[in-house]
Amino acid sequence: MVCLDALLANVEEDVVNVRKLKNIKIKMGCLFMKSDSEIILKISALTKSVQLEDKALELLQPIDLTVNSGETLAIVGSSGSGKTTLLSILAGLDLPTSGEVYLKNHPLHQFNEEQRSQVRANHVGFIFQQFLLISSLTALENVMLPAELANQPDAKEQGLALLKQVGLAERGEHYPSQLSGGEQQRVAIARAFITKPDVLFADEPTGNLDTKTGVHIADLLFDLNEKLGTTLILVTHDPKLALRCQRQVEMDSGILQEKSATTTSTNEYAADMKVG
Amino acid sequence: MNELTIKSSPAWFKQSLSLLHHEFRRGDLTIIFLAIVLAVGTVFSLTGFTEQIKQAIMSNSANTIGADRVYGATRKIPVEFLEKSETLSLNIASKILTDSMVFAGDNMLLSELDAVSDSYPLRGKFMGKTSLTQTPVSIETIKLGTAWVEESVLARLDVKIGGTVEVGVLPLTIVGVITEIPDRSYRMFTAGPAIFLNIEDMPKTELIQPGSRAYYQYLFAGEQDDIETFEKWLKPQLNDTQRWYDAKSAQSRLSNVLDRSEKFLSLASMLGIVLAAVAVAVASRRYGQRHQPMVAVFKALGASKSHVQKLYMLHWGLLSLISICVGLVVGYLLMLIGVSAIENYLSLDESQLSFKPFFTAVITGLLCAVAFAIHPITELIATKPLDVIRGFSQNVLPKFGWHQLIPLLALFALLMLFSRDLMMSLSLLLGGILVSVVLLFLGRLIMGAGRTAGTKAGKSWHLALANLKRRANENSVQLVSFTIAIQLLLLITVMKSSIIEEWQSQFPENTPNHYLLNITADEVVPLKAFAQELAIDNQGFYSIFLGRLSAINNEKTISIDDKKDSTETESDEKKEEKPKGRKGAGRELSLTWQSELPIENEVVEGKWWQENDNTPQVSMESGMAERLAIKLGDKLTFTIGSDEFTVPVTSIRDVNWKSRQLNFIMIFNQAAIQNIESTSISAWMIPDEKKKQVYRFLSEYPTISIMDFGSIMKQLMNMIDQVSIAIELILVLVILAGSLVLVAQVQASMEERERELAILRTLGAKGSLLRNSVLFEFIALGGVAGLMASIAMEIAVYFLQTQVFEMAASFHFSYWLVGIGAGAAFVGIMGMLSCWRLLNLSSVTLIRRTM
Repeated sequence: MVCLDALLANVEEDVVNVRKLKNIKIKMGCLFMKSDSEIILKISALTKSVQLEDKALELLQPIDLTVNSGETLAIVGSSGSGKTTLLSILAGLDLPTSGEVYLKNHPLHQFNEEQRSQVRANHVGFIFQQFLLISSLTALENVMLPAELANQPDAKEQGLALLKQVGLAERGEHYPSQLSGGEQQRVAIARAFITKPDVLFADEPTGNLDTKTGVHIADLLFDLNEKLGTTLILVTHDPKLALRCQRQVEMDSGILQEKSATTTSTNEYAADMKVG
Repeated sequence: MNELTIKSSPAWFKQSLSLLHHEFRRGDLTIIFLAIVLAVGTVFSLTGFTEQIKQAIMSNSANTIGADRVYGATRKIPVEFLEKSETLSLNIASKILTDSMVFAGDNMLLSELDAVSDSYPLRGKFMGKTSLTQTPVSIETIKLGTAWVEESVLARLDVKIGGTVEVGVLPLTIVGVITEIPDRSYRMFTAGPAIFLNIEDMPKTELIQPGSRAYYQYLFAGEQDDIETFEKWLKPQLNDTQRWYDAKSAQSRLSNVLDRSEKFLSLASMLGIVLAAVAVAVASRRYGQRHQPMVAVFKALGASKSHVQKLYMLHWGLLSLISICVGLVVGYLLMLIGVSAIENYLSLDESQLSFKPFFTAVITGLLCAVAFAIHPITELIATKPLDVIRGFSQNVLPKFGWHQLIPLLALFALLMLFSRDLMMSLSLLLGGILVSVVLLFLGRLIMGAGRTAGTKAGKSWHLALANLKRRANENSVQLVSFTIAIQLLLLITVMKSSIIEEWQSQFPENTPNHYLLNITADEVVPLKAFAQELAIDNQGFYSIFLGRLSAINNEKTISIDDKKDSTETESDEKKEEKPKGRKGAGRELSLTWQSELPIENEVVEGKWWQENDNTPQVSMESGMAERLAIKLGDKLTFTIGSDEFTVPVTSIRDVNWKSRQLNFIMIFNQAAIQNIESTSISAWMIPDEKKKQVYRFLSEYPTISIMDFGSIMKQLMNMIDQVSIAIELILVLVILAGSLVLVAQVQASMEERERELAILRTLGAKGSLLRNSVLFEFIALGGVAGLMASIAMEIAVYFLQTQVFEMAASFHFSYWLVGIGAGAAFVGIMGMLSCWRLLNLSSVTLIRRTM
């Protein structure tokens, strides 16, 4: 019994150690990749409302949120809670009705469409639920696209390397229609990472995939994210996926609430186990 | 931190090319490509083709007067006219026309003498052969002391080539037989067969004496500008006795055919262009919608607006460029095919292809590619990156609005560019808009009614009609394009057949090809017997009096010189002349008497006389009565030679001038002119194999003039044939354009259909049910479109026939069935073919593709 308890305690200790090591690795990674744990995304008093005939519909109540560089954040919530609206504003796809959004210190709320495009080209990566690959471009060309838009000189080499990392080295010349859903999302992940974005926004990245493929895609996403130390902001209604992030916030009727940290660590463990 | 430099990536170029390459390969651009190719090809081939035909027809019809313009009078031309023409470096030929009896041994024959200068003709071919078996060659000059004669002269005078014919006091050696006279069709009525001699021999014949009947023609040809300058200078100086005319005004029947074919060709081409433009518009709309996700993703990934703009401009620019180039090649080939088809009928040697078709086609291509696509593409470029999250379905372009102004203006510009006819372009455009709006509402109404009917029909029909109703919005737009496409096709088919039929009906099987004139009373009996013996179709014998209408209700009419081509016995020539008021009636008319109403005549006012009615009276043709404001009961005074008499108008007749009957403006009853001496006239249908026999028989009656009308008919039939071919070619192009619109429309609804099929499949619908419902939906759509197209066609044909082509209106119910049947079949087949791939996809694939 004692023996078993001791064994269990050891295992637990090992697990804790593994976790600690991993955290250290993450932090070291952050140190290597980003020189400081600077605030990469900051929003304050952000609201969004839309005018429906004669009355205004409040989509987002005043929201404050700060995300540090290298952090992984999950925005969870039920359908219609406003999480996608929040994501669009954070990524500079949409403008808030009031409040401020700073991404990498760029005041997105003051920027026009073109300036926000430029910010996205330089700092942001995307993964969409619908994959949204360009059907007229090959897998490789799709991956290269953001690098080309950001004028990176070695787009092709990087694209090939990333395709290799997502296990699609042989499929570079294939068009999206020739790839399965999981493969398309892997291409999308490679595309998202090619510019080594400061922030990666993922909108239900596994929402269109079956469970098994979804898990693989999530693994791939978190692996790459870990390797490159990217800040990840993930919108999902899948609690399991959310729990793999360091932080979770919950949207409910346009109100943002931080979830407790304990749940995070337990679930991170669960996630780690799953990966292991 | 705000100092962001907005720069465009050079990657747009590569991406654009990649996009073009891929989309071309996948066939995504086929419709737009084909639509532009077709628009450019149609315009190029038609502009080029019609230009060549027009030039050829014009130069061929210039042949019918042997010059660009002709001056004609009973006196020699004033010297200053000739001097002026010389300063403009115009070429001149002169001709003296007179009738005279010619002799060969004991035989004599009333002939038309054509004394021509060495430069005759200035346009067209003057052909002949020096032996009867030789192939005709061009007659360059007529040597002094020689004559060229029409073939019938040989038989009627019983002479051979090399023999002598006496003209006046001058013996001339016959050196050959004339086979082609360049200004033949102008010579509608002549005393007899033609004998051509050199104009310098004319004085030696001593036929031209003071007071003798001779007609002087001066033929002018030269650069168009010079001719026009001369015409402008000359026209104000002409008096009533001097005529000045070009090919068109000289020959009303020919110019009628020319005018109509020209109008028809340009109308058909315009409709073809409209259809091609509609196809571009429909296809580019779909293109814009299909590309929205791509632009949104580009933008979400950080592409600047200018990046997207450059990418699409290059993409669209290259697409347009390729399409226009291919269109030009296709158009050129089509033109060559068309030209080679009519080469046998028309000499195109002198027709040079100008840059006009090229420019018109390129501008058409650009207008189509830019104006019809500008709105979908600007909308596309303005796609918001937020759409990657929000979805794209909300960005359906509004169907009506100011954005349609540009395409409409472009359409107008296209029509103007092509037709250069403001009224025609405007009415086509406004009419088109009006028809579209009416059809839109009508279509919805019919589809709504169909839904109710569908609930009582089978399952597939139920689903099909429910689909129609549910997509009433999209379908009514589709319906309008289908309707317009089918309507235009029907319109062209109906107009084509009615125009060609009308032309051909002018020459039925037993159309007389010879007129016999100057038949004396005692010659009528043997001629009748001869015609009967040889079974020659003829229209009987009419007494003919040349006289003038000298007074109307005792009010004298003003006399003008009788015009050379105004002999009343010949169908519609004088009808086109439109004499001005009472003044015009003073010329010499061919008068006759009849006891029975001639065929193809219909009394519209008053009553035709009884055979035994001894009160002198006259029946008048309605057109002339109207022009001279003559009413029933008016008293008309006629002068025939030294006789003068006054008769009341007791009936007014409608005359079918288009028939080749002997038609008369004034017909008296026998009592009116029984005491006046006359000769008779008859029209005979002489088959080629009996010609020689007839000529030989008629040589016994030298004073009878026989006029061979067959060659003029042949010339006209030739022209009708070649114009018909041109029309067929255009019909094919219009059908192609129409089909493209249909395919583009079906394609445009493909994504939505895909989603619906996926849903129905998921719900467990059987393959056969889905196939049938899609088929029936298209069949219903096509049938309704066909019905509305038939109605619209009927209205359009009515207006075209009565307003544009000045024909009698006719109805075409048989084409309604064709319209409905063909509409249902065509749309059904096209729809099924387009959806075939979708219908045969497995449920899983279908669902995966759309969900």
